[in-house]
Amino acid sequence: MSVALNDEKYFLRDIIGNYMYDLGVKNDKVMLVNADLMGTCRNRKFAEEFPDRAFNVGIAEQNMVSFAAGLAHEGYIPYAFSMAPFLTMRACEQCRTDVAYANLNVRMMGTYAGLSGGISGATHWSIEDVAIMAAMPNVTVVEVSEPNQAVQIMDQSLDFKGPMYIRSSVEPVFKLYDDDYKHKIGKASIVKEGSDGAIICSGVVVKYALEAANALKADYGKDIRVVDMHTIKPVDREAVVSAAQTGNLIVAQDHNIYGGLGSIVATVLAEEGCVTKFKNIGISDVFVAMAHAPYLYGKFGYDAKGLYNSMKDMLGVK
Amino acid sequence: MLKTVDELRRAAVEIRKNLLELCSVQVIHIGGDLSVADIMTVLWQYQMKYNPNDVNDENRDRFVLSKGHASAVTSFCQAAIGCFSKDDVIREYATDEGRFSMHSCNLVNPYVEVSTGSLGHGFPVACGMAAALKHKGNTENRVYAVMGDGEQSEGSVWEAAMNAVRYKLGNLVAIVDFNGLEADGRIEDVTALGDIAEKYRVFGFNVLEFDGNDIAKIKEAFDSLPPADSDVPTVFICHTTKGKGVDFMENQARWHAGKITKEQYEECCKILEETL
Repeated sequence: MSVALNDEKYFLRDIIGNYMYDLGVKNDKVMLVNADLMGTCRNRKFAEEFPDRAFNVGIAEQNMVSFAAGLAHEGYIPYAFSMAPFLTMRACEQCRTDVAYANLNVRMMGTYAGLSGGISGATHWSIEDVAIMAAMPNVTVVEVSEPNQAVQIMDQSLDFKGPMYIRSSVEPVFKLYDDDYKHKIGKASIVKEGSDGAIICSGVVVKYALEAANALKADYGKDIRVVDMHTIKPVDREAVVSAAQTGNLIVAQDHNIYGGLGSIVATVLAEEGCVTKFKNIGISDVFVAMAHAPYLYGKFGYDAKGLYNSMKDMLGVK
Repeated sequence: MLKTVDELRRAAVEIRKNLLELCSVQVIHIGGDLSVADIMTVLWQYQMKYNPNDVNDENRDRFVLSKGHASAVTSFCQAAIGCFSKDDVIREYATDEGRFSMHSCNLVNPYVEVSTGSLGHGFPVACGMAAALKHKGNTENRVYAVMGDGEQSEGSVWEAAMNAVRYKLGNLVAIVDFNGLEADGRIEDVTALGDIAEKYRVFGFNVLEFDGNDIAKIKEAFDSLPPADSDVPTVFICHTTKGKGVDFMENQARWHAGKITKEQYEECCKILEETL
């Protein structure tokens, strides 16, 4: 296998957390609400620069989300930050009843997406959040994969109508696109073109999919498309149908196989009558003990090696 | 708007008659509607700055019904100030295309500031609204949140209480309708709620405790509110009687929700008139 990427590491929570300051400068309606994880979420710069627009409600995620809803009722654009499991499960009903039902411009910002909490263990993993948040009417579900994309999505969130859930990994990510690549909420980004097969993925998995695709090209001359489905709901149906036309389609997600990107893509395949080989890769509906995230990605088959092997098998090359 | 205690007493009787009329055609949460009827009457017809012709008026007081099941009494109080008519409420309540439901819903009724129903949500949302008003520099208007006593079991209420004190939300007025009964029976049999006023006091609230079915006491409490731009949130602990005003409903947990006959309605109206 060959890896052909710039190996400079970026951390999405640094990018997103620090960029809140920029959003605060751009729009004076932007507010920040946190539940005692200002440091973890890298929210301190905003809080220091805009103390009257930053609220730390203490370790009370339910209250954080309801409070944010109250701010949004009054015309503000609150960004509520926490670890994804606490935001989407402890405060699940607040997200649904106080934010989604009222269709408010609250940005629900979840770090520690998927298994990226690693050695913190299952309490700090978020492997159900996409299923939970996608099930709520009005909520747009996004997972960002790299620094430039994160900034563009954050910028677009200023004018976006309705609630957004934005999940992101705490694992390091890498630049995947040229600086002038235009990412748009609701439209898949294409990391690499290809017509022999396709991997639809999001977040931290995109890098692994690209590594797998590069290796399959080097080893077998196969062109595998890598589709970065940063907007998980509403999914880019056109990009799904097009990927399915390659005949070899893998969906990989840092999420349980039930209710995540794989389930959403599979529904589109069925509704559109797409005929393709299909494999849904993610956490195989189990809880496991803590471990470092890359080890777990390998265990569940969505690291570069796992994706390489799955696509190799699907292509039938030896 | 009304000014005197006598006018407000008469208005509260009208609200109760509205509730009982609706209760003779529909199942409503009559027990909790009746317990909070006096508070709501004074709030809507005496205390709140609210323009029924402009639901988005920046200079309005905000009302959040945290005990969302008291939707009927809220709708009648809003009808009393001209948001719509009393007959609209009776005709449309719990009908398929109606604006009025078992729990207040903003999707069909713009006079509902916040859709509620699940307990322990409205009060925390009201805190966010109060913080937003402060940030806007609005020093005149207040946010009123009406809660139930059973609702005090929700942990989110106390999360919000801490937050309201932390952010000095002096423009926030929480009102607890302490009628002593919840769905499964007497509060003290279901949960160890204890001294609710003392609990809010140690959390740092300005606490007023009084008979929440006494119009004069309610009016006095509103008159004594600190200015909206003060630093300490207020809570009213209102001791009330569930089913207040209807003898066979008073203090009966089974009248949390229910329906009465036309004859009962007429008899109840007579008794209510006699109290004036």
